Amino acid sequence: MNVNVTINDKAEQRDVEPSVTLLEFVRDVLGLKGTKEYCHSGVCGACTVLMDGNAISACSTLAVQADGHDLLTVEGLGTPDDMHPIQQAFVDNFGLQCGYCTPGMVLLTKSLLDENPQPTREEIIRYMGSNICRCTGYAGILASVEAVVAQRGK
Amino acid sequence: MCAAEKPRVTRLIGQSMPTLEAADKATGRVEYMGDLTVPNMTHAKIVRSPFAHARITSIDASAARALPGVVCVFTRDELLADDDMETLYGFVYRDVPVVATDKVRHEGDIVAVVVAETENIAEEAVELVDVDYEELPSVMSVDAALEDGAIHVHDDFFPIAPELRPRAGTNICHEAQISKGDIVQGFAEADFIYEDSYSAPPVQHCALDRHAVIVDYEGDEITVWTNCQSPFPLQREIKRIFNKDARVIVPYVGGGFGSKSRDRIEVVITGAAKLAKRPVRYIMTQEETFQTFIRPAYQSWIKTGVKKDGTIVARHHVFTVDVGAYAISGARSANNTLKVATGPYNIPNAVVDCYAVYTNKPPSAPYRGLPTTQHTMSYETQLDRIAKDLGIDRLELRRMNLAREGDIHLTGDWLRNAHTHECLDQVTEAIGWDKPLAPSADGKIVRGRGVASTIKYTLTPPREMSENSAEVALGEDGIFEARFGTVNMGQGSDTTMAQITGDALGVGLDLLRLVHSDTGLTPVDSSTTASRSTYHMGNALVDASDKLKEQILAAAAPMLEQSADKLTMGDEGVTVDGDPGNGLSFDEIVRRNGGPFAAMGECVVGGTWKAPDGKEYPIASTFWTFASCAAEVEVDTETGLVRLVSAAASATTGTAINPHSIETQLEGGVGQEMGPTLFEQMVWSDEGQLMNPTLMDYPLPTMQTMPHYEPRFVEHPFDGGPFGAKGMGEIGAVIVPGAVLNAVNDATGVMFHEVPLLPYKVLEALDSRAGSEA
Ligand code: FES
Ligand code: FES
Repeated sequence: MNVNVTINDKAEQRDVEPSVTLLEFVRDVLGLKGTKEYCHSGVCGACTVLMDGNAISACSTLAVQADGHDLLTVEGLGTPDDMHPIQQAFVDNFGLQCGYCTPGMVLLTKSLLDENPQPTREEIIRYMGSNICRCTGYAGILASVEAVVAQRGK
Repeated sequence: MCAAEKPRVTRLIGQSMPTLEAADKATGRVEYMGDLTVPNMTHAKIVRSPFAHARITSIDASAARALPGVVCVFTRDELLADDDMETLYGFVYRDVPVVATDKVRHEGDIVAVVVAETENIAEEAVELVDVDYEELPSVMSVDAALEDGAIHVHDDFFPIAPELRPRAGTNICHEAQISKGDIVQGFAEADFIYEDSYSAPPVQHCALDRHAVIVDYEGDEITVWTNCQSPFPLQREIKRIFNKDARVIVPYVGGGFGSKSRDRIEVVITGAAKLAKRPVRYIMTQEETFQTFIRPAYQSWIKTGVKKDGTIVARHHVFTVDVGAYAISGARSANNTLKVATGPYNIPNAVVDCYAVYTNKPPSAPYRGLPTTQHTMSYETQLDRIAKDLGIDRLELRRMNLAREGDIHLTGDWLRNAHTHECLDQVTEAIGWDKPLAPSADGKIVRGRGVASTIKYTLTPPREMSENSAEVALGEDGIFEARFGTVNMGQGSDTTMAQITGDALGVGLDLLRLVHSDTGLTPVDSSTTASRSTYHMGNALVDASDKLKEQILAAAAPMLEQSADKLTMGDEGVTVDGDPGNGLSFDEIVRRNGGPFAAMGECVVGGTWKAPDGKEYPIASTFWTFASCAAEVEVDTETGLVRLVSAAASATTGTAINPHSIETQLEGGVGQEMGPTLFEQMVWSDEGQLMNPTLMDYPLPTMQTMPHYEPRFVEHPFDGGPFGAKGMGEIGAVIVPGAVLNAVNDATGVMFHEVPLLPYKVLEALDSRAGSEA
């Protein structure tokens, strides 16, 4: 089946089997390996991408469901030399250790802050609670999100 | 050999800096195992046993082989037909068949590998491999495995590490004892004797970066890319089994926590790659990681003799560890923790017995300090019971028994850097121990606080078996290159090593390049486990840097017409003391030298240590890490839900190389161990099938369950460590269950002897307490 998407501001068109997941499409078909996989069951959030600005699990979405939609993966957010402020905050506030959950976490942060630019701590915790990190105990991640919120509030 | 006669200047050490690779990680640019590909690569899937214990009566892979796109199927037939392939794997305990030969010993045991052009074809072909099994009775717990007449998981034992002692004709793959003083005498002197039993079920590490491997068998040497935490032992093992040189390359790893300390897929995939004659990639699914390595079930029984005043005079501690179907890792981990089973206390008479037992569960692996964590839970909760019974304050009881600098440990070691009291003081202060708890508004939520203290060893094999080396070089571009085997799995090792190397050389990070964990490029190192790298690799890098510095200064001396001791190395190169304008840049020195410089360094450990009393004492652990945790919990008496509200943790770190990184390691350890303390556990059916193999029914801590953290550390330089540093990567986890159980007891008056504190168990216990009070 034909899948047309805009991904990281670029139009892409590919012919894929209907069973191909959005995660396979992003990683294997388009070669964007920044999006990660762990549970493959929609629980951990390592595969988080933004579809029309909303955070979704790419492992539990079919590529064809993304047809006609706008996608953002971690590659579209910033580069090591020109990081997005959210990524910079994760670096500065020790919001990552092994880094495996980080692409998902920064995209989840973006979708939170796009929806709710000045969330309270409780709102952050509720929203960010959907993704798993095994290294940080989440303190650094919370500090990173709060740092972006504080910066934007200025 | 030491060029550093001038006082060392520390510019990088002591700085809280984000990891060097943080920006690459935040932008998704770092490649983990699952992101790597090599040309002409094929894809493997594994046929796994559905039974906990069975004999394989036949394997027919012909239909799978006939499927278009299938490259080959590797089974016992190919293994046994190949005279150039050993059949058993394991560098601590050699009990794992490369691929199942006669029996399968746990659900998920490896029966065959299917190699195909795509993962989908491989997956399809797995279904076409026809395996007939004759199911055998299984033993799913240590108790069952120790019963008279229990089936034997293995008929023979093959321990490799010299300290491992199986008991023939049983499922005990290792037993050992350690003792101090005379416990018969000790218990005779005691006024009171307490006996308790404790247990903890298996959990999985859930490192998000699943175990994966790529093997290229072709060429002069086998090339293995893997996220294993022990590349060098693995390399030697592959070389032994296949009788061919091997190179093991480890990229950035997305979390290990012990689950990758002894990976077992490399060997079987190497067998498949030999057959395929093309590179083979295999990535586990999350479910398969649950069948590969787990934290073992633990049980303990402890008996403590105390005087009326609270002085502990005797302790007997017996523990069992369920190593699962293969002892490749579990037997030695259990043995290592003998050294710390009596805790950070000065107990004159003690005996500890350890039994590592085979069952038909998946093989066990260390888990951020296991089973020190469970030992700590056992002796710390018993201490609270003793305190209550004797009417002695809980902190006071600890303070009077905590070991101090120079006390003789269970192992005979003279304890060094033992700032146990400071750790305890820090955490009680941080949690506000003396502040009143928030009152229970409606009587529904009750609150309490608890503490726990611990002692942790690091991996300390006999001197001749300890391998800790590194190389530092200066290249033509005037950049220093540090080459070291430590695996970067998120603990920040590259940054720590860069801080140490930079300060040892006297140059900044701009002049440093790092090469990590590649047996082809980095000198030999035992493993990245047991919080050992900062100390061992740090020392090896200091040694290499000192030697390199000496070489460079000796070469620069004639160029600058000065004696070497009048020269200093810094960011500008080598300069003449007192005449900073007079010097040479590094690239210029290399050019005039006619070639680059390189020096090897090592960290020598073991032997004995001469104490201030002039006597020699054994070194059972290169360094000891001491730590305490104070926890505050809320217990909902209607639902039984326990919430960890706040947790303070403190450890003796020696010099803090990267202070904030230490704090985040502590937070990570506490945050991780909270899961097994409150709600994580793996559950098997009586037939040996795992009932909760996916995250849908195996919950993990999230930001919503996160406590408020108060990380602290006690920083007194440790003589012998690189710039005075010790290791601490695991310690945050070790102290959690003991502190939480004690806090729950404080809140409810119920002392639990097991984890996790599932709400229904808490309610049951509260009900039976109410019943007994009525
Ligand atoms: S991999 Fe998609 S949610 Fe876990
Ligand atoms: S940083 Fe390792 S999983 Fe989050």
